[in-house]
Amino acid sequence: MTHSIRQRLMSTMLVSQAALAVGLVLTGVFYTHRQLLASLDSSLQGRAMSVAALVRYPEDNSSTLVFESDWVPLPTDPKHPDLYEIRASNGAVVARSPNWRRPPLRDHGHYGEFSFAGVPYRYLHLENVPVLDREESPANAPSALDVLYASPMIEIREQVWTAGAYIALASIILLGATVWMTIWALRRGLAPLQQLANQASLISAQQWNFHAPAEAQQLAELAPLTDAMQMMIDRLRQSFMQQREFLGNAAHELKTPVAVLKSTIQSLLQRPRTPDEYQARLAQTLEDVERLEKLLRWMLRLARAEQWAYGTLQRNLESIDVAATCQSAIDAMRSLATARHTMIDFEAESRVISRADPEDLELIWVNLLENAVRYSPEGSTVKVEVGRNGGNRAQVVVADQGIGIAKEELAHIFERFHRGDPSRNRETGGFGLGLAIAKALVEAYGGTITADSEVGRGTRMIVELPLST
Amino acid sequence: MRVLMVEDELRLAENVARSLEEAAGYAVDIANDGEEGLFLAESNPYDLILLDLMLPRLPGVDVLKRLRQQKIYAPVLVLTARDEKESIIEVLNAGADDYLTKPFDLGELLARAKALIRRGKGQSSPLLRVGDLQINTVNRTVERGGRSIQLTAMEYRVLEYLAHRPRAVVSKTELLEHLYDYNWEKFSNVIEVYISGLRRKLNEGSSAQLIHTLRGQGYILQD
Repeated sequence: MTHSIRQRLMSTMLVSQAALAVGLVLTGVFYTHRQLLASLDSSLQGRAMSVAALVRYPEDNSSTLVFESDWVPLPTDPKHPDLYEIRASNGAVVARSPNWRRPPLRDHGHYGEFSFAGVPYRYLHLENVPVLDREESPANAPSALDVLYASPMIEIREQVWTAGAYIALASIILLGATVWMTIWALRRGLAPLQQLANQASLISAQQWNFHAPAEAQQLAELAPLTDAMQMMIDRLRQSFMQQREFLGNAAHELKTPVAVLKSTIQSLLQRPRTPDEYQARLAQTLEDVERLEKLLRWMLRLARAEQWAYGTLQRNLESIDVAATCQSAIDAMRSLATARHTMIDFEAESRVISRADPEDLELIWVNLLENAVRYSPEGSTVKVEVGRNGGNRAQVVVADQGIGIAKEELAHIFERFHRGDPSRNRETGGFGLGLAIAKALVEAYGGTITADSEVGRGTRMIVELPLST
Repeated sequence: MRVLMVEDELRLAENVARSLEEAAGYAVDIANDGEEGLFLAESNPYDLILLDLMLPRLPGVDVLKRLRQQKIYAPVLVLTARDEKESIIEVLNAGADDYLTKPFDLGELLARAKALIRRGKGQSSPLLRVGDLQINTVNRTVERGGRSIQLTAMEYRVLEYLAHRPRAVVSKTELLEHLYDYNWEKFSNVIEVYISGLRRKLNEGSSAQLIHTLRGQGYILQD
């Protein structure tokens, strides 16, 4: 299931707009209702007071108050006339509307609502209203009134409903307009993303050119993405090219010895040979096979070291003394060094401990030493130093007084199948894998390897490994 | 025929050279790097150059381009371990005549070498005919008027070279340059010995002279 940014934005926008509309309708309805109720209340007050004003003292001396019903104000809604009842303070009913029915009164407050014959009414209950008669009140006549006046609320309800409907309609129209605008804005806003995707989809192993669309590059949100994509593609291309170069080199390195073997055997079979000839050529063939075997071993070693570097193989490692592995590597190189009259000078701090496989470390030192000895003039000294760097790194330096490495070449010496001097490799028997293996192994242990060289003065290979406590 | 093999893998170069010498009777010079290869190709007239691409000092493609720039038109057969199309197209466009990918079959190499040499000399058939003389360059046999003629290796090489360039004047120096690799001492009177041997064997049972001598210029093979 795919989620779409457009859909998400749209639904968020719709929900918020709908909530806004509903809020607007509710607020409008509430406000209108309140306003109408307030004006109804004041009109109730006026009407109640005006009916109260129609009460007169009696002409005679009786205690019954008189109501001048001719002057009762006209009802606002003829279909649902107002209800009223006036009682004297002694409880006697002074006047009543024709359709009177007593509402259930509340204990507190003057206003209240009730339903009469299916019509909602609002009433006002006034107590102790003085009889407004200019005449002197007879001694036995009550001087205060109890007034109940109710008006129908049906009109208010209608008005509130109309107001609500108006607001809702306006909201819906506005909502539609916003949705249309949002769709348009989203389509326009997301167009650069689509262009970017189209460009990105053109990239393949054969086609590495990536041109981020100008519009996408100018957008604050997309610019980091295009930059990241550009960088990612460059890195991928580089590693892809390296991989391809490695494959090409590996193919060349493997095919050449096979070509040698094949040609030797075919030329041997071209005509009958003497047993001596057969023997000599078979011995050669064996040598060639051994060289091929060695190459395969080195390539596998490299592949394995690189696998470790990428963490594919997890291993339990013990803490070992780095100096001891250097010593065994020096012992292994002793015969080559003696043959070339080269001294190996060894200096080590005590207890430089690292977590590693001793065989791997030994292989690193052997590879470095082999280069150092081979490229040193006869009679010179190769120095091996083991120490600490800054307290948390073990540092091993292999320094020679050899021919050195030119600056532009220094960047390539750790590449697979790279050879310092191509014309010399056949004699020295190297495959150009030694330093690549050393680098892969050092990196597998979380270390670094760097070279520092001066042409004619010599080379220093510096390996740093994490110390183990 | 004289062939230059430019290849840094010594063992491979030796095997190919030996095979060309034994099975085709060619003289082979070996160069172990690009610069040496270029130098030899510039200073000797080769009938075919076998060129590796990954060479120390000077890459094979550069050797090829420099040769063609200097108007050296010897056929070039490229031996390469790279078999990607781009690489093959590049070498062919740089002036190579053919290519073989390593590891190759020696028999195929020989057949292609022969084909390139005869094309380079304007011949298309492996059967060379001059009058009633017929030379089969595949199994190196010679017949005249249906009669088989047994030649020594050197006699055959002289005849094969002449037969590739029928009706042209071939000098003694040219023969020497094309029949020996540079390790040999070159004596021009040796050629005269082979020519007289050839004449004797070709003329047995036939009166028409095929190899003619142009005094001071060289030899012509024609009927």
